[in-house]
Amino acid sequence: MTQETEILQQKFAQLLGWEKTKRRERIFTALCCYSLIGALVVLPFHAQLLAAVGRVWVLPAIFLVLAPWLIFEKRWRAQDSARALAELDKALGLDERAITAWEILGRRQASAAETLVIRQATERISALEPRTLFQRQWSWRDYLVLPLFALWLVLLWLEVGVSVDRHIGNPTAQALARQLREYSRELQEKAQREKLSDSLQAGRELEKAAQRGINEKTSDEKFKNDLAGLAKKLEVLGKPSAEQLSLSLTESQQNLKDLRAELEAARDLLSFPDAAKGARDLEQQWLDHLAMLPQLKRQLDQENQLGQGFRQNELRSFLDKLDKQATSELDRRTLLEAQQFLDQLMKQGQGDKGESNARVVGQGEQDAPGDTEKEKSRGDLPGKESGKKEGYGSMPEFQGGAETHVKGMLDEGQSSGLVFKGKPLAGKSEVSQDEVIASYRRQAEAELNTERVPEALKETIKNYFMSLGMGEGKR
Amino acid sequence: MEAVTEVEERMQSARRAFDALKAEMARVIVGHEELIEQVFIALVCGGHCLLEGVPGLGKTLIVRSLGEILSLTFSRVQFTPDLMPADITGTNVLTDDPSGKRVFDFQRGPLFAHIVLADEINRATPKTQSALLEAMQEQSVTVGGRLHRLENPFMVLATQNPIEMEGTYPLPEAQIDRFFFKLLLQYPSREELARIADLTTAGQPATLREVLDASGILRMRQCVREVPLAELVKDYAVRLVLSTHPQSESANGAASLAKKFVLYGSSPRGLQSMILAAKARALLSGRPNVSFADLRAMLLPSLRHRLILNLEADAEGVGSEKILTELLEAVPEVP
Repeated sequence: MTQETEILQQKFAQLLGWEKTKRRERIFTALCCYSLIGALVVLPFHAQLLAAVGRVWVLPAIFLVLAPWLIFEKRWRAQDSARALAELDKALGLDERAITAWEILGRRQASAAETLVIRQATERISALEPRTLFQRQWSWRDYLVLPLFALWLVLLWLEVGVSVDRHIGNPTAQALARQLREYSRELQEKAQREKLSDSLQAGRELEKAAQRGINEKTSDEKFKNDLAGLAKKLEVLGKPSAEQLSLSLTESQQNLKDLRAELEAARDLLSFPDAAKGARDLEQQWLDHLAMLPQLKRQLDQENQLGQGFRQNELRSFLDKLDKQATSELDRRTLLEAQQFLDQLMKQGQGDKGESNARVVGQGEQDAPGDTEKEKSRGDLPGKESGKKEGYGSMPEFQGGAETHVKGMLDEGQSSGLVFKGKPLAGKSEVSQDEVIASYRRQAEAELNTERVPEALKETIKNYFMSLGMGEGKR
Repeated sequence: MEAVTEVEERMQSARRAFDALKAEMARVIVGHEELIEQVFIALVCGGHCLLEGVPGLGKTLIVRSLGEILSLTFSRVQFTPDLMPADITGTNVLTDDPSGKRVFDFQRGPLFAHIVLADEINRATPKTQSALLEAMQEQSVTVGGRLHRLENPFMVLATQNPIEMEGTYPLPEAQIDRFFFKLLLQYPSREELARIADLTTAGQPATLREVLDASGILRMRQCVREVPLAELVKDYAVRLVLSTHPQSESANGAASLAKKFVLYGSSPRGLQSMILAAKARALLSGRPNVSFADLRAMLLPSLRHRLILNLEADAEGVGSEKILTELLEAVPEVP
């Protein structure tokens, strides 16, 4: 082997080695780039695809899947060596001396003309510095890798997949915990508003459990166990006591609410200063008003007393007892709703896609048998869908200081409900006037307890609604 | 090592001879540098050329001047419809020998020269054309049962006029394939025309100097075959030829025009002449190996007469030049 041959072989080895290094780098950056693109594409489906695997591992997993294929596909071939040498010929203007010399070097013997080719190639290539001549060239993949990586990290940090997965299929413990927290806050608000102590307590416990699930990032299994425990607890709390039993069986939720409002009004009536005029006047006044308080009247009917013969103290005591019963029944029902919510949440966690959230909206406690008015419970159960009919179907809700809205327009999505068809009597409203007044009065009472109504005007408003009922009674 | 120096010296001398030939030709021929190079390449490769161009472009002058510079014998035959094979090959004539006995003596025809100019070859009958083409292939003629060797080197430069086709006998494709190159003579430019006027209408015609002899050309022929050709470069030539075949499955890089307009692609002779001519070009450039550029330069003269185009090409006026040019762009040097 001549010195020229040695030099030439060394230079060719340097060149091919450098080209192979560049190829490996290109494969790596391409792998990174494609893996990142893949990871970004599957980001919204993390919860669905990889319930048991951490989100961070999606990128390495894609990388490992792509790596064998890409390495095999882009492996260095003999043709690549020829291509690299052809590039060298072009770059140095060697008129294919390098590629010819490379082939000649692979043979055992060389003719005089071939030796001349090697000599001429050596003269030109001896000063070759492959790294300088063929510098790295950055492709779009190289430029994309870092921004894509940063984007992926940001989206991971923002938990994009988690927020999206709430709407798709089987959510993770984190998503369930968020739903639970949201519900628990609504439950607490409702309990405070309606003065339901047990529900308030349950709401706080639920929020704690949800917060724990979010902060500690508990596993799906553990979180479901927690939910099951809470559901059991609520079930125990939601069992009716002996004193609740009579109300729970006969009264719908709406009736109970109406009853509470009427009790409030009746208590106010007893507190009026002119109520002290005399027992006879009080009785007369009481009977007048009782006609405007249908739920209370019904309860008194059941007592077969109609308030006659009640003294003021006895009446007050009876009203207190009734109020307590109604409150505790509402409390119990709210707890049952919460328990149903938890059951539904656990079903979601098990990937039970067939159970639409919309279906839960209509799964509040069923109306008591014999009720003529079919109402749904409030739609604050999990999976509340936009546009679903919620709350009171018959009456628009009164909101002091704000526009009156008719909520619950039907929209797309699965829902359930009961449809009653029937011809109403001509010229008659489906809702009795008593109920309308009672409903508005109830809402007015609720608003009067808030700070939005100025203290000075509260009495005037109360009198107005009372006069409404009285006027109606006289007519 | 001495052999390498010898080869290097041979290559250098070939280059010097070619440079001298070009310089000498430039004294009488204006322009046509590329054509002169291609004719010389065909000569050192042992091939024959078909020159196509309108009358008066200097075809005869080029051939005659080449003969003079190379110190080779030159003859010219004007082909006509009544020209017989014996008129070009020669014939046995009854003569008296010195003892007074009557014997047949072979009178050599114009083919017995180093360079033969077959002017307007398409005007002769196929019979005479065949006799010429047989001589070109075999480099010998047989008259009266006796084989007569032609000169070595022997080269035929046939011309044909592309515009006057009436009363002509177009060469069959098989016979055209025997020409190493088909060369086209272009009309001179304005400057070249002015120089032609100066050279031919003022003063005495220049006397040409011999720069190479027959033995020098034969030595060059030997050198040409020794020029190394890399597999990758050869593969490029093969792919170029294959891509002229529209029906070939291996012609992956076949140009769209070739697929549409070519009926039959180039024969293996096309590949042979392209590679040999590329080697000669490398040698005349003083380079010991063939480059992609050599192949590209030799593609048109080697293959333009070897493509058989279909009627569609004829109707649309698409020539083999256009197809081959597109093919050069379509086929990559390194796959």
